[in-house]
Amino acid sequence: MSDTISADIADKTGVAPAAKTTRHQASTRKASAIELRGLHKRFGRDTVALDGVDLTIQAGEFFTLLGPSGCGKTTLLRILAGLEEPDQGTLVVGGKELTEVPPHQRSVNTVFQSYALFPHLSVRDNLAFGLKMRGLPAEKRDAKVDEIAAFIKLGDLVDRRVDQLSGGQRQRIALARALVCEPDVLLLDEPLSALDAGLRAQLQVELQRLQKRLGMTFVFVTHDQDEAMVMSDRIAVLDGGNIQQVGAPNDVYERPANAFVARFMGHDNLFAIHHSEGDWVETEIGRLRLMPGEQRDDADGWLLVRPETLELGPEVPEGYNRMTGIVRERLYRGSRIEYRLEVNECMVMAVASNLGQRIHHEGDEVTISVCPEDLVRVAA
Amino acid sequence: MNKRVLRRGLTGFWWLTLVFLYLPLAVVVLFSFNAANSSASFAGFSLRWYQRLLGNEQILSAFANSMVLAIVSSVIALVIGCLIGYGMYRHRHRKLGWLIVLIYLPIVLPDIVFGISEMAFFVQIHEATGLLKPGLGTMIIAHVTFQIPFVALIVYSRFVGLDPTLFEAAKDLYATPFKRVLHFMLPTIKPALISAFFLSFTLSIDDFVISFFTAGPESATLPIYIWGAIKKGVSPEINAIASLMIGAVVVAAILSLFFSRRRRA
Repeated sequence: MSDTISADIADKTGVAPAAKTTRHQASTRKASAIELRGLHKRFGRDTVALDGVDLTIQAGEFFTLLGPSGCGKTTLLRILAGLEEPDQGTLVVGGKELTEVPPHQRSVNTVFQSYALFPHLSVRDNLAFGLKMRGLPAEKRDAKVDEIAAFIKLGDLVDRRVDQLSGGQRQRIALARALVCEPDVLLLDEPLSALDAGLRAQLQVELQRLQKRLGMTFVFVTHDQDEAMVMSDRIAVLDGGNIQQVGAPNDVYERPANAFVARFMGHDNLFAIHHSEGDWVETEIGRLRLMPGEQRDDADGWLLVRPETLELGPEVPEGYNRMTGIVRERLYRGSRIEYRLEVNECMVMAVASNLGQRIHHEGDEVTISVCPEDLVRVAA
Repeated sequence: MNKRVLRRGLTGFWWLTLVFLYLPLAVVVLFSFNAANSSASFAGFSLRWYQRLLGNEQILSAFANSMVLAIVSSVIALVIGCLIGYGMYRHRHRKLGWLIVLIYLPIVLPDIVFGISEMAFFVQIHEATGLLKPGLGTMIIAHVTFQIPFVALIVYSRFVGLDPTLFEAAKDLYATPFKRVLHFMLPTIKPALISAFFLSFTLSIDDFVISFFTAGPESATLPIYIWGAIKKGVSPEINAIASLMIGAVVVAAILSLFFSRRRRA
């Protein structure tokens, strides 16, 4: 049996039957924007889950809440679902205030991390559950369930019991059970975290395509920054109940708002700035020239040097910063080569695409050059 | 060599255990078909004691009392115990220590203490208000009281075994509180409810001590009748009643097994 929805969705994109097209257009019209204002949430006396969150999520956007565990991302999602009530603040979805509306009255559905498929029901009855609770007559329910099961290419599974499904199949049934209700907003709580790496990578692409196809607003929660970057239109990075940065994946990755975001996005090359003067900064790894836009008079903060922007070799292009380092470690990864270089007693990571250039050995002294445009100042 | 001796010893012990468990039962069943009056010797196969049972008004009314008591008390205990079990699940994160002890106390309390205190309680209420005259009503109340903890425990452990996000999934999928009970909770705990009912039923049918203290003059159950009858010596009629009860218990056990198998199939 095929384990893909992507191929299926791709097919439907081309030769979708009329009925399905209308349905998806209908969902497109329904896509709703989300407005969160001043959300506070506390558990017990000491645990602050959300500390004043303001956020706007556009209609039809694939929006990801990214952060380490305990950052408040799941609490935020649960407030959207209505499973948690904020202590303060308001939630507006599609122009309607939902702050105190109970979950069963919200046109919002969730794909849970544990999938939460009902063990006493067949796959078909699981898929039909939301429609049944909404009072849709049985014939209409069956038609919709058959349609969604075919859409995610699991039509032959509908008469199985839930415990006869594999992890990937459960994941997709949980997704279908939420989608069949055609909600204004779909919430996904780390839905891929229980799957193995291969299936996970495949489903990341499929989910993203599915979202574009349906045009529905997706709010996705994850702690995996790669996953967030692959799938999202925009990402909000959270820490300590606060939003640290909101932006497109390339913004968040290339121009992190602060050291936390930079580290969370996987950046290791952060160096303390001791002193700054005009376009020049004095850092742990030496005196470097920045682009004029980067100049700031405050001395504190960090300099972010992305490993892939460092060039190793004797020639230093015009206007580039120049450093000297010693190769301490080399990891040959096939398509690329990773170096750990010692510069001024600091470890600097460099990644070179393997284009057949000279490979440096441990102990070699190398000249490192970096373009001022690639140096980013990051607030503490 | 030593090992072989040990193994043989253990095997012998196993057979001995079986003999002590089942031989008395087998004897009772055998003698219930005895054609003779005495329990001393077997004088050929006969169904006369079973026929005598059907003609004995006292036994029939005791049987009816037992059944009414067991079914009514089990149903009431199922409803109350189910609510308590759910309540315990819902508030499992709070510190309910003393409350849990109070709920479970009837399980560990000696039946005789329980029976006497229930009796004293009912008598006092009866003297004060004229209500709760000793009889089937007071027996039902007493039985429900000791069945509740078992039901609550079974229901509670079923809920604890569930993924807690299922409750949230039901809310998320537009189920109102009432529909959540009807379409999610009750179907999900149905196997637990069935086995809780069977257990309550068995406990009630089996009970002598508490029934004895809370019964009225007209509400003798089978165990109470047997106890009274046995004072005049073990008659083959008693053997017949006992055999029927053994048969009923075996059927109940098979049914309960059937339901739990069907759940897993």
